[in-house]
Amino acid sequence: MSTGSGHAPQIDAGGALVPRDLAQTADGRAAAARRRRRSRHRAPWEEPASPLGAVVKFLVLAGVVLAVLIPLWTVVLTSLSTQAETIRVGGLVTVPGELTFNAYRQILSGGIVLRATLVSTGITAVGTVLSTVVSVLAAYGLSRPSSLWHRPLLFVFLVTMFFGAGMIPTYLLVSNLGLIDTYWALILPGAVSAFNVLILRNFFMGLEPAVLDAARIDGAGDWRILARVVLPMSRAVVAVVALFYGVGYWNAFFNAILYINDNAKWPLQLVLRSYVLQGVTLPGSGVGQVDVATGAVTGLPVKMAVMVLAIVPILVVYPFVQRHFTKGVIFGAIKG
Amino acid sequence: MTSIGQIVRRGGAGAAAAPDPVRDPAGTSARSRRGSPPVRRLSLRTRLRRDGALLVMVLPAVLLLGVFAYVPMLGNVIAWQSYSPYTGFLGSPFVGWANFERVFSNPLFIDAVQNTLLITAFQLVFFFPVPIVLALLLHSVITPQIRTTIQSIVYLPHFFSWVLVVTIFQQIFGGAGLINQTLRDAGLGSGFDLMTNPDTFLVLLTMQSVWKDAGWGIIIFLAALSTVSPEQYEAAAVDGANRWRRMWHITLPALRPVIVLLLILRLGDALTVGFEQLILQRGAVGADVAEVIDTFVYYQGVIYGDWGFAAAAGLVKGVVSLALVLGANKLAHVFGESGVYQKS
Amino acid sequence: MNTTTTAGRVGDLPVRRRSFLGMVAAGAAVAGVPSLLTACSSGDAPPAVAPGAAPAAGVLPTYVPVDYVEPDFPGVNGSTPGFATLPTELVQSVPEPPGSGSTFTAMTPLWGTIPPRDGNQYYEAVNEMLGASIEFQITDGNTYGDKLATVLASAKDVPDWVCIPTWNIPPRFGSEIVPNLFQDLTDHLGGDRVKDYPNLANIPTDAWKFCVFNGRLYGLPFPGEIITDATFYRQDVLEELGIAPDVRTGQDLLDLAAELTGGGRWGAEDLWVTAAAMHAVPPKWRLEGDRLVHRVETEEYRAALAWNAELFASGSVHPDAVADNSGEAKTRFQSGSSLIMSDGLGAWHEALRDNLASNPGYWQQPFDPFAADGGTPVLWKGNPANIFSFLKKSDDAARITELLALANVLAAPFGTTEFDLVQNGVEGVHYTRGDDGLPVPTALAATELQPTYIFLVDGPIANTRVQYPGFVEASSTWQQKAAEYIADPLFYAQQIVEPSQYASIGQPFADLEKDISRGRKSLADLDAAVETWRASGGEELRTFYQEILDAQ
Repeated sequence: MSTGSGHAPQIDAGGALVPRDLAQTADGRAAAARRRRRSRHRAPWEEPASPLGAVVKFLVLAGVVLAVLIPLWTVVLTSLSTQAETIRVGGLVTVPGELTFNAYRQILSGGIVLRATLVSTGITAVGTVLSTVVSVLAAYGLSRPSSLWHRPLLFVFLVTMFFGAGMIPTYLLVSNLGLIDTYWALILPGAVSAFNVLILRNFFMGLEPAVLDAARIDGAGDWRILARVVLPMSRAVVAVVALFYGVGYWNAFFNAILYINDNAKWPLQLVLRSYVLQGVTLPGSGVGQVDVATGAVTGLPVKMAVMVLAIVPILVVYPFVQRHFTKGVIFGAIKG
Repeated sequence: MTSIGQIVRRGGAGAAAAPDPVRDPAGTSARSRRGSPPVRRLSLRTRLRRDGALLVMVLPAVLLLGVFAYVPMLGNVIAWQSYSPYTGFLGSPFVGWANFERVFSNPLFIDAVQNTLLITAFQLVFFFPVPIVLALLLHSVITPQIRTTIQSIVYLPHFFSWVLVVTIFQQIFGGAGLINQTLRDAGLGSGFDLMTNPDTFLVLLTMQSVWKDAGWGIIIFLAALSTVSPEQYEAAAVDGANRWRRMWHITLPALRPVIVLLLILRLGDALTVGFEQLILQRGAVGADVAEVIDTFVYYQGVIYGDWGFAAAAGLVKGVVSLALVLGANKLAHVFGESGVYQKS
Repeated sequence: MNTTTTAGRVGDLPVRRRSFLGMVAAGAAVAGVPSLLTACSSGDAPPAVAPGAAPAAGVLPTYVPVDYVEPDFPGVNGSTPGFATLPTELVQSVPEPPGSGSTFTAMTPLWGTIPPRDGNQYYEAVNEMLGASIEFQITDGNTYGDKLATVLASAKDVPDWVCIPTWNIPPRFGSEIVPNLFQDLTDHLGGDRVKDYPNLANIPTDAWKFCVFNGRLYGLPFPGEIITDATFYRQDVLEELGIAPDVRTGQDLLDLAAELTGGGRWGAEDLWVTAAAMHAVPPKWRLEGDRLVHRVETEEYRAALAWNAELFASGSVHPDAVADNSGEAKTRFQSGSSLIMSDGLGAWHEALRDNLASNPGYWQQPFDPFAADGGTPVLWKGNPANIFSFLKKSDDAARITELLALANVLAAPFGTTEFDLVQNGVEGVHYTRGDDGLPVPTALAATELQPTYIFLVDGPIANTRVQYPGFVEASSTWQQKAAEYIADPLFYAQQIVEPSQYASIGQPFADLEKDISRGRKSLADLDAAVETWRASGGEELRTFYQEILDAQ
């Protein structure tokens, strides 16, 4: 693959207003050095921010971050409070009072949680790999303009975004395929998201055609081009789509309600949900209705702990996705 | 300076009409980006041989969709039936267009459509651009540590349930909330209650959506931005483009295809607005402003197990959505974008 | 995009609306039984036997009450009896494990955490008592309706024993699903035949009446309480404020709420259920002369709306309640930021459970029933059963007999060893005896012991919450007083399945109740809505019910 040689001339540089080698003049170098001192990360050619702009940017970003962190803080704090504390303040806790890990202890001590975590991890791992591979293939397969049947095929994908199948027909299908009580029932029905395929395709189509053409001229087939050229250049979007799929699989619970009868096979989200539902008064149940005194804590702290636990996996995974957002990493990959 | 490789320029090397982005403010470059020459009519066999690998690649996804989306989609036949789960699709009697008539003859349906479109339009203007702006803002943060830290904070609310989001808003903007308490303590009256005011409901909805999902929404744009090479900026800077011009001529064009795609898909989804979010706040502001198509179908059909009605409404929505997407796609072509489908 | 599956997902929404029957699924913020409004459910055209026609003689099981323990506070007019102490001697009501070692599958909802199946000592102990094993397929209670709809559509997936809450009954349940999928129990339990199963014979007749579909007995009941709701106030807080409430009219309650409001505290939550109760708004229909009148057409309904609107207008309602955030209503009430609240009676002991430890002085008390105008109040009876279970149709009569024998064990009442095991688990494993003789749950109980068997069948209800000092007495004496005003609503205890095309015409009123209360709409809008209701199927519905009435 061509990695432009040294000082490749700019195409159609007619009427250049600024000498291209300005930065290499003595003045330029000195200025660049000064700027470098001011900010280690500023590229030499980047002008310093105007003070006003910097202040505005800082304020906006600080506002955005606080708008997220303050509610998050109250959620975490509430999950660490006693139920009595939440009742005392009448809702989410904003000032630390009596702190306890009871809510977490209660959720995590149930024997079924560990198992459910393994189930969810397995489903998410297998599902994400399957979905991502299938979607990348499909997206590449549809990304070449004017390829055979790509328009009707694209339509096949598009239609699924707007016409759903009902719950009962889908259940009957899954049941008749013998998938009830199997993990495949949690993976296959939603394995392909047309949205994600379209996103991938959109990125693939934005890739430099010349590179693909060059590879083709070198005799590479489509499989090879996809593996050696397209994928390395698209790591960010593939990571994002994998993240979308992963989050989808991890958070899904409704399919499990319908397709999994064996409670030992429940995914984590469904188990966590049951902690949130705990303590619900049944319709028509009065003082006499038999409810079993389990001494379980209910209420806001448990609900918030469930919310916090839902965030943990993404906190673990996100940095791996984020790595691919770094400026220029892709081009490093191409050149390297 | 290091290489200003032709490769990093979209429309560089091979494309004849590849204008320099900096010197082509009109932006014609984007249009000619897809530089493939028009195809000549080839025989099917030739095309099969040429594109066979592509078709094989699409096959697994099409098979999965065929089995798990299209087969159960046939169940929508109940829109024309008086359906009962026990007798099933084969045994339920056909009732013609009766279910569709019930959808359209219900005066509440028209209200719901109006509300839905109003909310969609408002959110297109005030919500849709927010992740883009945020992504650009983040992109302009130079220190990597700060940038990645902020990135890994702003998306978190996406993982909060709507129940929690509404509760948090209630604790801030509600009649017993933080703002109102402060006002009351300051003797400024206690009339402030954003949560129950039908007139400002659109604003409230949008604020909540922005807070919950804007941070998550930037991820896709960050991915798009990572395809821009620093060399492009460098070259532009060297050519004298200031930061705004660089954003206009390099950053935004890199985002444009994905923005257009998302915009088209959002238009296709115009009839879908936050179901949970609305159903949670319906009592607070009243069904007059909070009834949307999905809640209408839910209340009129689904909770009563009236599956035929729900299926009919779903089909109507699907047809309109598909028409909207195709229409938006056509519009994109007019503006020289490829959209979902490209012209051919 | 896809309305049917989208809707399927809303099970987790706090769409908490009170049904006509005044049920409430309150509690967790993510709680909700969205279809409560459909309490009597929907269905299709009337089947051959007129729905709701009185069952023929010999269909209903003969009622043979057994009292293993004398209640300290006997029920009045069918109200829940109270037991102030736990019996020291338990009776074993079924001498031998009746099962023959078979394994049965059972599908139940659960509003709680899922107990492990393998190595669960609670399951093992109950199975041993039964002589058979029941394998549970437990589903999250809030989405149970979706699960049911799908399973019932696929006959081969129907388990041996299926729990069906009344609010989850799918359309055409009575006409198509029941006779095709489930076992007709009339020949096993009808009339004196029930005497083979003494604990089942101990279930009151009204509860069985509710299990009759198309004139035949199909279900096993989970009996309900006849008094379901009350209006609570924070007696402890009011005492501190030096207020002794004496509420005898609607105006009294308005005045009290207003008096309590101020200084970051509000008098009341949304009191719509209270408003309907004090105006004696009928649950569904009422006979005026020989004409059926729907609740939304009554003057009482109108007056109740006007009253609730006045309450909201006075500014006494907590702003979060104005914003219809009912999920945290209990928290607000228990924290003392609102002081009057309508709630299910079950909320009483739950509040004690959640508060007594940290706030020993906590006490909430229901107002004695009163009529809005100070006259004699009317309390409409609650459903005789809210949940029932069905046995899958089987040609093997022995299998059905075995299942019924198991049901007989599970229906054992208070005072029996069977009840004790189902309720508390195994002594030394799931609980230990405290100094006061009360069972103290162990940590294992929180994991293993969840109420699953009770959703299959349950004995008559009893108030046995002796662990909260003074509670049984307070609750029972209140109930005895309230039960004097109890009245049967029209069509009480009858399974009537409305044609599905009329099912949703009542929906606008649920919105209207909120809109009018909050001053967004007026009573004139109610008139318009009633007109629309009549035109869009209300009259047909009236005829439908009239025919049922005529057939009786």
